[in-house]
Amino acid sequence: MKKYWKNMVRASISACALGIGTIVSAADSVNVAFFLEWGTPNQISKVDKVYDDAMGVDVNWTDFSTGVQMTEAMLAGDIDIAYSQGLAPFVTAIQQGHPLKMVAVAMVYEANDCFVKNGLGIDSSNASELEGKTVAVPLNTMADFAFKSYMNALNVDMSTMTIVDQAPPDGAKSLADGAVDMACIFGGNSSKAAGEVGTPIMTSQQKVDAGIGSFDVVSVTEKFATENPDLLRTFLDVTDEANAAWKASDSQLKKVAADAGMSVPDVKAQMAGMIFMSEKEQLDKYFGKNGIAASAAAALGTLFSDSSDGLTIARTIDGSFLD
Amino acid sequence: MLSWLSQERGLIAAIIIVILFLCLTFSIFIGLKQTASREKDEVFGDPERTLGGWYWTLTGISTLLLLWFYFSWGMARAFFPETGNELCQIAKINSAIAPITAALPIESRYYKSTTLIRRNLEQLKTLEKSMPVTAFDVVEIRELQKIILQSKAIIEFFSNPTNQSLESKIALEEIGQGFDRLSETLQTGFKGLVPNQEAFAQPKWGTELTEIPLLPTTPKGVLFDQISEKARVLTETFLKTRNKSTAADTLISSTKELINQVKARNENSEFDEEKLLKRTSYVKAVERIFRRLDDGTIFPPSALDKLNVSVNDFFTAISVTKGNLNLIDRILVPGDGIVKSKTQCTEQGSGRWLPKPTDVVATFMTLANPDIDSGGGYKGSTLLWWKWIQIGDILGFFIPDFLIDMLPGEYGRHSESGVFQPTLKDRMLAVAQGDVYLGAIPMLDGHIWDSLFRVIVALFLGIGLGVPLGIYMGVSRFFKSFFDPIIELYRPVPPLAWAPLVLTIFGIQDDGKIFLLFMVAFAIMVISARTGASGTQLSKIRASHSLGASDRQILRYVILPNAMPEILTGIRISIGVCWGTLVAAEMLAGTTGIGFIENVARVVSNYELIWVTILIMGLLGLAFDILMRWVINKTIPWRGKG
Repeated sequence: MKKYWKNMVRASISACALGIGTIVSAADSVNVAFFLEWGTPNQISKVDKVYDDAMGVDVNWTDFSTGVQMTEAMLAGDIDIAYSQGLAPFVTAIQQGHPLKMVAVAMVYEANDCFVKNGLGIDSSNASELEGKTVAVPLNTMADFAFKSYMNALNVDMSTMTIVDQAPPDGAKSLADGAVDMACIFGGNSSKAAGEVGTPIMTSQQKVDAGIGSFDVVSVTEKFATENPDLLRTFLDVTDEANAAWKASDSQLKKVAADAGMSVPDVKAQMAGMIFMSEKEQLDKYFGKNGIAASAAAALGTLFSDSSDGLTIARTIDGSFLD
Repeated sequence: MLSWLSQERGLIAAIIIVILFLCLTFSIFIGLKQTASREKDEVFGDPERTLGGWYWTLTGISTLLLLWFYFSWGMARAFFPETGNELCQIAKINSAIAPITAALPIESRYYKSTTLIRRNLEQLKTLEKSMPVTAFDVVEIRELQKIILQSKAIIEFFSNPTNQSLESKIALEEIGQGFDRLSETLQTGFKGLVPNQEAFAQPKWGTELTEIPLLPTTPKGVLFDQISEKARVLTETFLKTRNKSTAADTLISSTKELINQVKARNENSEFDEEKLLKRTSYVKAVERIFRRLDDGTIFPPSALDKLNVSVNDFFTAISVTKGNLNLIDRILVPGDGIVKSKTQCTEQGSGRWLPKPTDVVATFMTLANPDIDSGGGYKGSTLLWWKWIQIGDILGFFIPDFLIDMLPGEYGRHSESGVFQPTLKDRMLAVAQGDVYLGAIPMLDGHIWDSLFRVIVALFLGIGLGVPLGIYMGVSRFFKSFFDPIIELYRPVPPLAWAPLVLTIFGIQDDGKIFLLFMVAFAIMVISARTGASGTQLSKIRASHSLGASDRQILRYVILPNAMPEILTGIRISIGVCWGTLVAAEMLAGTTGIGFIENVARVVSNYELIWVTILIMGLLGLAFDILMRWVINKTIPWRGKG
């Protein structure tokens, strides 16, 4: 006992002297952030405690409503892994120099839609008529990224538009009221509401043709990645297995719906639009040389900040935990 | 000039800090002297006691600013501008050897091997217990048990010092010696090391998006930077070092074979779905643990002892070389110090979310720059400036279009030659729509003005409608009884609760935001005016009545002056609450305004911008409050003296 105290005192003195900071205990629990109302196959593993069993530690799941909040929680040290953080909040965090890392792609999905009010008679063929109009956009989100990509693809001058910063539910409401002419929306319920009174500016096919898509990432704190690479690998392994086991069967959907807090048909519709890639696919397409992950992050970075450096962002993308 | 100021912000901060310290000591000195001289002839609780006392105000302000400078690391940067850069070099070392320190009981209580073994044994135990006996036959169960036993044997094998591979022994020895050599290098000091030219070209600490310059700018920093490069090589060797040997390989391969056998049976045989699921998931779990064991990251208990000593010595050597930097680090850099991320060095702790005062001023200056084309303003709008507005537009705002529709005559149409000749009615419509040039007047413009405008209009409406209603509620039975339920019902509702409705009712223009603020101001004004009016002493009313005053005169000359203190306090409170609601109001449909800036800044985690908006709102609120205090002193000098 005496020796223990002696060691403790010595350790704390040396820690202070070195400026290392607080003594942290080795990870006996891992904190993971996820989104509510965002169905993913690994929620089955989450409910069945497969993660806890496989990693041998307690896995605590905390739900968030935005990716920015995930970043903040990671910086405060409360979250180790953010599952399916949007690419936009991740890139903004990196631009601010925060010590985070992208280690995998959670899922690929169709880019968020911008709905043009029905009755304006504007679609992708005469999109330039949008100039001078008012648009509701949730700034610095993936919907904002989608908006800017559409306008660039359709060659519309954004500087002539009045851009109103609105959260998706508000944007859908404003579109219905006619306060705005176009609303860019993410999230199931809001998209449904906006779809009632508006039409997406680009169809799914046009989006694919123009190369506009988006994906959510798995991001971690650098500290967690260096100190517990084994846990991180196992986490991604279990996720990969859950994705592989996903058949969208009724029992699976029911489980995910219950955990996501949505109805079964809604989850089914939502997840039908998502692609969950295997680790190998991710390594080949997204994390390899000239991978999509780096180029998309760089493109996103320049849209949000003029002084963005794509090479710098690319250095925080690390697919080495996927093997 | 501005860019020069921006570059020299450290020096400016140092001067300010010195001045603040002088102010602090001076004001405390004066304050104590004043208190001592007055103490005897003052009565406790006398309102006169709180008058004056500028020196304590000065003390308060300087303390606040000094605390801000301290916790934002502004002091560290002002007096020791190289601190950030040097600590960044040390952070580079820390991040370079992080995998090694994670394996040693340096930042944790146990060796990584110990933690791994404990975790894996625990999992094996649970697996043993939870084996789905129904899904496997007897032979298979025995096989699985054998796999688990062998996994345990692998752990035992690796933990045994006699089985440790020679290569790993040599490698660990070498890494330890490498650290010893690094410690020696550190001891030789940094004399003669010169930072390269590129390093001096970097932007200074905190002046650009990249918080702290990465390349070392001092000899000490150069030494640490070089050490970090060498340490990185050691880490690479460490990561490649595995406790593997041929003896272990036989054990591992036989276990692997067993697992593969079970796996093969799962794939080839026909099981019903439920059984197959149980089988595959169980085998997967077993394999997962096995795969964690076979990669040779488990070392015997005392294999890393020597390395541990070397690394600890290395840290001590760093600490010695740091010299006075230790003291600065401990005293002037509260929080978790500087951390090297993949791309840059960042401040952790209070320095991360509390920007330095000078940086906030610099950000404010960029925002306040009215020249939007050269990067000023925010999201295409200035902070506070002026612009010409057309008189025609104002006129057009007040004349509704349908008035013109009702006039006799027809709107014109284009002729056959393709020309449009406007008729009189067309010209009238142009006036109603503000399309005519009638001269222009200068008008304030920008985010601050937009917010201010919303608050002022809301306050104006709130006071204009709330005060008369409140006073009538104080004097009239009808007004009191009729309006009481309505007012009392809506008053306790927090203004944010209206927010979802406001958007559908008013749309995205200013009126919705003003309405939200108005709701706040109105309730407060009604209540305060009413309390003031009903609190009038009856004797005063009776006296004026018996002196022949009419109802109107009583209201104007007795009740209103009596309610004045309450009303003015009410205005003060509603100004405060209006500013408080502004951020929420401008969140609804943000286009401009201080609250809009803050909402966007929050999304991009731009803490400097957030603090700028907080300060702007605080200062504007303060300005309003000072104005109100002045008004209160002028209009009701008798308050509190009755």
